[in-house]
Amino acid sequence: MLVLPPGLALLRAQGHGSIAGTPFSTPEDAVIGAKSFQSQCAACHGAKGVGSAAGPALNTGTFKRGGSDEALFGNITKGVQGTPMVGFALDGAEVWRLIAYLRTLNAGMGAENAKGNATKGAQLFRSAGCVKCHTAGDSGGYLGPDLSEIGSRRSLADLERSILDPNAEVAPDFWTLRARTKSGQNLTGIRLNEDMDSFQLREASGRLRSVMKSDLASHEIIHTSPMPSFKGKLQRAELDDLLAFLASQRTPLTAEAPAQ
Amino acid sequence: MRHLQAVVLLATWFSVAVPAQVSHQRLVQAAREPQNWLTYNGNFHSTHHSGLDQIKAANVAGLELKWVFQANSLEKFEATPLVVDGVMYTVEPPNTVVALDTRTGRPFWIYQHPVPTATYACCGNVNRGLAILDNTLFIGTLDSYLVALDASTGRKKWQTKVFDYTKGYALAVAPLAVKDKVIIGTAGGERGISGFLAAYDAKTGKEVWKFHNIAQPGEPGHETWEGDSWKTGGASIWVTGSYDPELNLTYWGIGNPGPDWNPFVRKGDNLYSDCVVALDADTGKLKWHYQFTVNDEWDYDSVQVPVLADLPWKGQPRKLMLWGNRNGFFYVLDRVTGEFLSAKPFVKQTWNAGFDEKGRPFKAPGKSPTIGGTDVYPGVQGGTNWYAPSFSPRTRLFYVTAWEDYHGAYFTWNQEYEPGKSFTGGTVSGPFPSIRRERFIKWDSSWGYGVVRALNPATGEKVWDYPMRDVSDAGILTTGSDLLFSGNREGYFFSLDAKTGKELWKRYLGGMVAASPVTFLVDGKQYVSIAAGHSLFTFGLRE
Repeated sequence: MLVLPPGLALLRAQGHGSIAGTPFSTPEDAVIGAKSFQSQCAACHGAKGVGSAAGPALNTGTFKRGGSDEALFGNITKGVQGTPMVGFALDGAEVWRLIAYLRTLNAGMGAENAKGNATKGAQLFRSAGCVKCHTAGDSGGYLGPDLSEIGSRRSLADLERSILDPNAEVAPDFWTLRARTKSGQNLTGIRLNEDMDSFQLREASGRLRSVMKSDLASHEIIHTSPMPSFKGKLQRAELDDLLAFLASQRTPLTAEAPAQ
Repeated sequence: MRHLQAVVLLATWFSVAVPAQVSHQRLVQAAREPQNWLTYNGNFHSTHHSGLDQIKAANVAGLELKWVFQANSLEKFEATPLVVDGVMYTVEPPNTVVALDTRTGRPFWIYQHPVPTATYACCGNVNRGLAILDNTLFIGTLDSYLVALDASTGRKKWQTKVFDYTKGYALAVAPLAVKDKVIIGTAGGERGISGFLAAYDAKTGKEVWKFHNIAQPGEPGHETWEGDSWKTGGASIWVTGSYDPELNLTYWGIGNPGPDWNPFVRKGDNLYSDCVVALDADTGKLKWHYQFTVNDEWDYDSVQVPVLADLPWKGQPRKLMLWGNRNGFFYVLDRVTGEFLSAKPFVKQTWNAGFDEKGRPFKAPGKSPTIGGTDVYPGVQGGTNWYAPSFSPRTRLFYVTAWEDYHGAYFTWNQEYEPGKSFTGGTVSGPFPSIRRERFIKWDSSWGYGVVRALNPATGEKVWDYPMRDVSDAGILTTGSDLLFSGNREGYFFSLDAKTGKELWKRYLGGMVAASPVTFLVDGKQYVSIAAGHSLFTFGLRE
């Protein structure tokens, strides 16, 4: 049973996500929460909530499953159905302190904190050629990661790093398979799946196909990104605009978000 | 010259390498590409028939398992997959869309729709499948959204709220994509909904038209609902309709009126519950309707697949609709005009005492639900139900999974409507098979039995039977080599000779089959897939 302090309920009704005003929102509470985070959460969500293969980043300024105090409380204590996130049997104060710490991780990270102009960034997304490989909004290419919800998954700092140094971190989800069949056909695409006998890939056109390893003369899996670095190619203001646009690409949060 | 070759090669590469582009024209001509399975029922005529003929009576005994896809879910696996150019798209229950490699069964991508903890589906958190148009997939969700996904990535393109699910509305049906629209209707016939069918723009998700399954004030047929009973009259949709491109009509079966077992509080015919409606696909305007059960008292949803067949009728070629109804009758209608041509029981029934010349049924006396219970054939799950029948243009037979000699007691009581809550006005009991078979089969013959039954559409007469011990919720596939594939609650998947009903091959899959089989080609070789238990099994010939 979740009981919110009256002041908190009021803040939520006003659309605030903060727990300021609760007995567990002081900097000291956040420090205690940080210790709980390290012991209970970091194994999956990464140190300081940067995310890992096991769990999403929690420092992006937005929460995919709902950022209200109630949603966070529910997800921590009851888990998220259909994901590896289980409910944690912590006492109420410990949960609130964890939330206090999560708020500090996210302060200043959200799209509302991006300095640039998202509308100009959207234009730049097209004119700089990003849209040829990435999808955001209604259209785009299939070669690079889909960025439709990237603002919910990556912090502004992560996004900036990916634009300036695309090879800093290329997740296995986006490694490229380059292969030549025994009949001489060349294949290139994002490796979506691989077992002892086969690859499943998505070609740049969006076509899904598979290939049996026994039909290949050679193949390699490329861990680097085909994306060019934009270091030195964008003015600081342009970069900020682009970041503002990317940060605005978010999972729509609706009243129908899963009840927990 | 080398340069020219390179240019040609490059051009070929780009022209070949395109993602699935399933145009409306391809859907219209689906029968011309039997290597694929492009709609819920395989084609717009919903025959659940494929022209593929590699697997045949002479070699079907050599079928072997090629791959298994295991669902991360313990919900019932009812979805019929789509197969498009080497990719299978299906729905892992409850609402997770997967794109599978037809060679290996390995996923290309997975889209997980978040499903609320509390949903309002009557009979399990199920989903029956998808529609595809161009490179977009469409799914209806348990929280009543229509969601469009990029078929290359599973990325959500848009979602449209079809209705407020907390009022008892749920989407379990596979949508139907026609021209530039996606058509879907809503379940909730046991929760006092006001059912409808609606078409949405495939590109934007905007509603284009809406057909009210319950005649609204001012519409013809509204007088068939006593008092305010129309407001909570149910009339849901949970099985995919059909489409005749020449007539531009789309046909849908509509569910029971509510409260299910208290017809006394909704006197009148209750249009358009238990009807088939023929709608203009562009406007949703009603062209004709036929009501199978008037003022339904037994939950005889007319939510079956409308099968379209072009056959001679009394010596004249005619556009027909064949319908094995939950109320136990096999109907033949003229699908141009809706004219009633014939009705004949295909299982034992006791509710009906004949028809007038226009096909309006006369009810047998003494069969209404009562406080103490009234025994009626067929029982509440019907003579058949939602699972796909098949029509083979080769054998010209209609194949239906039937529940024979099956009955149950119907009880009635008064019930106040409360939004979102169960609103059935009674119950059923007696020899009543549960919706989901447990792992032990302790069946009794007095409860009836399941049978795959072949009917001659011209006469409604039975041509052959394949009886089972238990009942069955499995659909039927027929092929160009006159094979029939189906399954049952006992967990068997089997192949029969479509001409004689003789069993040719059978495998126990370890879980009940509550889905319909499909067939397709992989690298030029024919495969057959069926969901059973919590997995999807794919078979092909031994090499």
